[in-house]
Amino acid sequence: MFKRFLMSARAPVALTITGALILIAVVAVSFVIASRTAVLTDDVLQARLLRSAATEELVTLLEAETGQRGYLITGRASYLAPYLAARRHAQSVLANLERLSHGPTLVAVPIAEIWYLTNAKLDELQQTVSLREQGRGDEALAIVRTNRGEKLMEGARADLSRVSLEADRILVDDLAALNDYTDIQRGVTGAGGLLAIMFSSLSIWLLLRSIRDATGARTELESLNTTLEQRVLDRTTALTLANEEIQRFAYIVSHDLRAPLVNIMGFTSELEVGTTILQTYLEAEEPEQRPAALAAVRQDMPEAVRFIRVSTAKMDRLINAILKLSREGRRQLVPEPVNLGTLFENLVASLHHQVVATNTSVTIRPLPTIHSDRLALEQVFGNLLDNALKYLAPGRPGNIIVSAEGTRDRIVVSIADNGRGIAEQDRERVFELFRRAGVQDKQGEGIGLAHTRALVRRLGGDIAVRSEFGVGSEFRVQLPRSLQDRSIAS
Amino acid sequence: MSPNSVGLPVSIVMIEDDEGHATLIERNIRRAGVNNQIVPFSNGTAALHYLLGSDGTGSVHAGSSLLVLLDLNLPDMTGVEILARIKANAHLKRSPVVVLTTTDDQREIQRCYDLGANVYITKPVDYENFANAIRQLGLFFAVMQVPTTE
Repeated sequence: MFKRFLMSARAPVALTITGALILIAVVAVSFVIASRTAVLTDDVLQARLLRSAATEELVTLLEAETGQRGYLITGRASYLAPYLAARRHAQSVLANLERLSHGPTLVAVPIAEIWYLTNAKLDELQQTVSLREQGRGDEALAIVRTNRGEKLMEGARADLSRVSLEADRILVDDLAALNDYTDIQRGVTGAGGLLAIMFSSLSIWLLLRSIRDATGARTELESLNTTLEQRVLDRTTALTLANEEIQRFAYIVSHDLRAPLVNIMGFTSELEVGTTILQTYLEAEEPEQRPAALAAVRQDMPEAVRFIRVSTAKMDRLINAILKLSREGRRQLVPEPVNLGTLFENLVASLHHQVVATNTSVTIRPLPTIHSDRLALEQVFGNLLDNALKYLAPGRPGNIIVSAEGTRDRIVVSIADNGRGIAEQDRERVFELFRRAGVQDKQGEGIGLAHTRALVRRLGGDIAVRSEFGVGSEFRVQLPRSLQDRSIAS
Repeated sequence: MSPNSVGLPVSIVMIEDDEGHATLIERNIRRAGVNNQIVPFSNGTAALHYLLGSDGTGSVHAGSSLLVLLDLNLPDMTGVEILARIKANAHLKRSPVVVLTTTDDQREIQRCYDLGANVYITKPVDYENFANAIRQLGLFFAVMQVPTTE
């Protein structure tokens, strides 16, 4: 499932989007944490300030009390200076504490109570100091002995200590929270970074792979394109050849069928002429018309009938030949393994009579086994062997050599003879329907080689001839080793 | 046809593979009043052998006058080849060649005139016209001048 997703074209895009989403999430989490951290840091600062203010206030009050005690006991003015300084300071520190207590802090500060206790304490201190200054030290000590000042101090100390403790607690909590946030931030950043690296790597890998695929596809396309041009060229050449052949065939058929037709019509008219002569003679019975009538009956009219008969027979033969070719073109080819060596041996055996009669030696070199239509091969090679035996050079023993050579998927079967040969200008003509070459001393319709070539082309091959007039001919049949199903029937 | 300068009558060499056609042509030429000798051939090999002589030079006909009536579709070679051989031969090149064939293919007609054919006639399919054409050709033969072969 995942693998299939990776192989899909959408994978790099999806991965990139996922990576971007992860980055956005990391940034958002970082932003939230940063905001929270800022708030916490503020709180920590606030708590710290509060704590130090509370501590300072307590210390100041204690200092003031210390100065007061020293003065009350000794009466020396040197104790008054720290007392006075602490007194002034206590007010401003408390004001600062009050300001801080209004700030954003979770520490509850009983500021009114502290103000009251502080002021009361300072008043008590001032009262005793004033009495001492007036020389009424005893009265002052009596006030101290009431322990009121002690109680006020205890109250202030308790309040301020509580504030400090509270602030400490907040500080510890907030610092712990800050620590947690830092850990979360580190974890999120780390995991996000890791995921980002993972997705980027995956995306880059996929991109590289798709680039490699695209390059491969382009290379393949280019090579296909090149071979396509060649294939189109080959097919075009084959089609052009086939088209020319069809035109030539149509031309030959129309010409060759018209020729006997002219004869039939011509000699029909000649018959009419003869009939008229006979009629005239028979009706008039003029003796001077007798020789013409006799000539018509004895010579012209039988001749006309003979020509009509011959022409009709010729038309019949031509039409049969065309039908045969057409039937052959339609026959379903059945590819099967065919041992050409055995096939040729059988063919030569069937032509034994002619081989002996013409004193011909037939040599069959080693031949391969191919996958093709047996009947078509028998007709092709039977025709070629028959021709080789038929058109031997007069006065010279025949010598026919059958051999084969081949490449990985095609073979060329050669049938070479030492017969009369074919003149250069006739080497294409011999393959045409109803056409023959050379001295016309053998029976034939001019169909054999036309038929042979049509068959060889249906078998996916071609036939060519090499020849030297008076020396011999070699027919070379090129065939595929394995006959494929071909959509174009010849 | 008038006899040539040395008084020999013009011979008509008829190269026609179809015996029926040959007979019909001969009859209709005769009907037009042409009584010249007609030498018939039914294939190209024999006709060329006669025209060029056994030495193949054509000198055998020096001093005589020939008119060639030529069919293009012969069993052993094309009439075009015979035409080319006649027109390329020093002795025969001036002999009139009348191409008489069933083909009306324009390229074939052009090729024949390019090779030096003097007249090209398509054999009409229907016999009335065929007979007429041959008779008119016969009348034409009766008035035309044929040069003596050198």
